[in-house]
Amino acid sequence: MTERAVLEATELNKRYGDLHAVRGVSFHIDAGETYGLLGPNGAGKTTTIAMVGGLLENDGGQVLIEGEPMTVHTLDPRRKIGLVPQDLAIYPDLTARENLTFFARLYELGGRRLKDRVENVLEVIGLRDRADDRAGEFSGGMKRRLNIGIGLLHEPRLLILDEPTVGVDPQSRNAILESVEALSADGMAVLYTTHYMEEAERLANRVGIIDQGEIKAEGTRRQLVQMVGERDRISITANGPLESVVSDLRALSGVQDVGASDGQITLLVEDASALLALALETVAKNGASVSSVVVEEPDLEAAFLHLTGKALRD
Amino acid sequence: MKVLAIARTNLSRFLRDKANIFFVFVLPLGIVFLIGAQFGGETSNRVGVATQEDEPIGVAIIAALESDDRVQVSVFGDEDGLLRAVERNTVSAGVSIPAGAAVRLAAGESVDVGFLSRPDGFGPQLRAIVDQAVAAATSESAAARFAIEQGADPAAAFSTAAEIVGSAEAIMVKISTTGDALFEGINGPFDIGASSQLVLFMFLTGLAGSAAIIQSRQLGVTRRMMSTPTGPAAIVAGEALGRFLVVLAQGLYIVAATTLLFGVSWGDPLAATSIVLVFSAVGAGAALLFGTLFKNDQQAGSVGVIAGLGLAAIGGSMLPIELFSDTMRQIARFTPHAWANEAFAELFRRNGTIADIGTQLGVLSIFAAVLLGLAAWRMRKVITAQ
Ligand SMILES: Nc1ncnc2c1ncn2[C@@H]1O[C@H](COP(=O)(O)OP(=O)(O)O)[C@@H](O)[C@H]1O
Ligand SMILES: [Mg+2]
Repeated sequence: MTERAVLEATELNKRYGDLHAVRGVSFHIDAGETYGLLGPNGAGKTTTIAMVGGLLENDGGQVLIEGEPMTVHTLDPRRKIGLVPQDLAIYPDLTARENLTFFARLYELGGRRLKDRVENVLEVIGLRDRADDRAGEFSGGMKRRLNIGIGLLHEPRLLILDEPTVGVDPQSRNAILESVEALSADGMAVLYTTHYMEEAERLANRVGIIDQGEIKAEGTRRQLVQMVGERDRISITANGPLESVVSDLRALSGVQDVGASDGQITLLVEDASALLALALETVAKNGASVSSVVVEEPDLEAAFLHLTGKALRD
Repeated sequence: MKVLAIARTNLSRFLRDKANIFFVFVLPLGIVFLIGAQFGGETSNRVGVATQEDEPIGVAIIAALESDDRVQVSVFGDEDGLLRAVERNTVSAGVSIPAGAAVRLAAGESVDVGFLSRPDGFGPQLRAIVDQAVAAATSESAAARFAIEQGADPAAAFSTAAEIVGSAEAIMVKISTTGDALFEGINGPFDIGASSQLVLFMFLTGLAGSAAIIQSRQLGVTRRMMSTPTGPAAIVAGEALGRFLVVLAQGLYIVAATTLLFGVSWGDPLAATSIVLVFSAVGAGAALLFGTLFKNDQQAGSVGVIAGLGLAAIGGSMLPIELFSDTMRQIARFTPHAWANEAFAELFRRNGTIADIGTQLGVLSIFAAVLLGLAAWRMRKVITAQ
C-alpha cells in the first residue's frame, strides 16, 4: 500500500436477516490499480460495492476514500467515485447526450466543462454517432457503454464497475475491457467485479477471490496460482450423470479438488499422467461419455477451485 | 441547481410522451367543449309541454309552438317529467297545462298555465315565444280550427271558440323557475365546465404523474442519483418540482386555451392564478405521495385514475356541489377539489378578488403542505432504503 490508498475498505459486514451476506471484507486499491473482485453469483460482490459507494448502511466496518470516511450520509467522497451499477440505470426515453448531461449536472458540472466532458465521454464509449438517439433504441452493448459513461463524467479517482460485461456481445465486451485498460493507464483506480475469470486475469493487477461473503484469498494472478501449488489441472468435457462422476472422482487418491459446471469437470491432481487413465475410467463407469480432455498448468480458475472447492460458473 | 436539473428532466420526459400530450392538453379542452355544448348548445331552443293528450288547449299550444321555427317541442305526460327535464337542462323551458283547461275556460273559470325555466341558460328568452303561443292557441280561429280537426261539428266548434276567446283574459301564465339558482351570474355556457374540469384534470395529471416517479425507481435511476453527490432532500425536491411544473403547465394552458377558444372569463387574473398555483402544489404533493405508495407504475396509474375521478366527483367537479345533499356537501369539504371549485365560483359568479378567496386558498395551502410533507418523508424513506 502507498501512503494513502484511493480506497480502503476495512472489515465490512452486512447481514440481511439471517443471511450474513458480507463477512469481514477488507481490501484497498491504489491509484492506477485495477482490483478484481472475482466470485460467483451471490458471493456478495454487489453488496460490498453498495457499501463502498455509500448506498448501503454497513453492519460494521469502514470505508475510506482517499482517507475520507464514506457513509450513507456523506456526500463529499461521492465526488471522487464513479459507481456503475450492475443493472442499467439510464432513462430509455432520453437520448445518450441527455442522459449524460443530466447526470453531469448531478455531478456538479456546468457550462463549458459540462459540454466538454459529455463530448469526451461520448467519444470514449463510442456513442458519438448515436448521441442524439434515444437510449431505449440502443443495443444491449450500447446501453451498457452508456451506463458506464455516466460514471466517467466527473473524472473520478475511483471507478467502480459491477459486472459490466454481463449480457454483452463480444465486440462491446472487448470495447469495455479496452476502455478500462486505458482509464487505468491514465491513473484511475478501478474496482471491477466479475464472475468471468478471463476478465479478472486480463484487467486486474490484483484479484480478491470472494465466496459466500468472504474474501478467500487476495493477490496478483501469480500469487494466487502459486497457492494451488505444484498441481496439474485436468478438464474433462462429458455428458451423463456428472454428479455421481464428481463424487466418485473426489474419492480417488491423488485428487485434490473436483468441480463441475456446464458439462465440464475440472480436477486438480498431483500428477496428471498417473491419474488420467483412472479418472477417465471412473467417468465411463458411471455411464457418462467423454467428448474432450485437456491437461494444463494451474490458472486462476484452478486457484478458485482450490480455494472455494467449487468451479467458477461461466 | 441539481433540483432544477431533476425537475427539468422530469418535465422533458413527460412532454416527450405523446399520450401525455393528449391526456393533458387535448382531452381537457375537448371535455370543456362538450360540457359547454351540453349547457349551451342544442337544448337551448327546446321547450317542453306537459299536457294530457286530449286537452284541446294543450294540443293547440303544441301546434302553435311547432309552427314557430325558433323552438323545438318535447311533449311530457305530466308536470313531474317536465320539471325533471328542465332541471336537467334537456329542455330549456317548459309549459304546463292543467287538466281540463278548455272545459274550465269554457265555464268561464280562469286557468293557470305554468311556465318553468331555469334562471340560467336560454329559458327566460323563450318566455316571449311561449306567451305568443298561448295567445295564439286561445285565439278564436285557432281554437275552432283545432276543434274541427278533432272531429267536432264546425258550427259547434266556432261557437265554442267564440266562448273561449271571450274568456281569453282568464288564461294566466304563471311563471315559476325551477332548480336552485345554480349558476347565477355565469357568463357563458363554457364557464362552468372549464373551472370544474381544470380542477379535475390538474389533480388527475398529478396522480397519473406518480408513475414517472415509480419508473425512475424501477429503472434504478433514483438509486444512481444517490451515488452522485446529491442528497435525498434534493432528489425529493426535484421530483416534487417536476410534478408541480407539469400540473402548473396544464392549469395555465387550460385557462389560456379556454379563454381564447371558448371565451371563458376566469375573473380576477391574480386570484385565478393563485388558485392554479396552489392547486398545482396540491397535485404535486399527491403525485409524490402516490409515487411512494406503489411499487409498480401501472398499478399507481390505474389506482390514480380511479382516485382522481372519485375525488373529483366527491369534490363537485362532475356534478355541481349545489346539487349535493347536505351530508355530501360536508364530505366534499375533505377534498381539495371542493375548495378549488368554491374559489373559482367566487371569482366567476360573484366577481370575487383574491381577498374573497383567502379561506379557500388557505385551506388549499394546508392540503398542499400536508401532502408534500407526508410525501417527502415517505419518499426519503423509500429512496434511502434497501
Ligand atoms: N436486499 C437484499 N435482501 C436480502 N438479501 C439480499 C439482498 N441483496 C442481496 N442479498 C443476498 O445477499 C447475497 C449476496 O448478494 P450480492 O451481493 O448481490 O451477490 P453478487 O453481487 O456477488 O452476485 C445473496 O445471497 C443475495 O441473495
Ligand atoms: Mg451482483
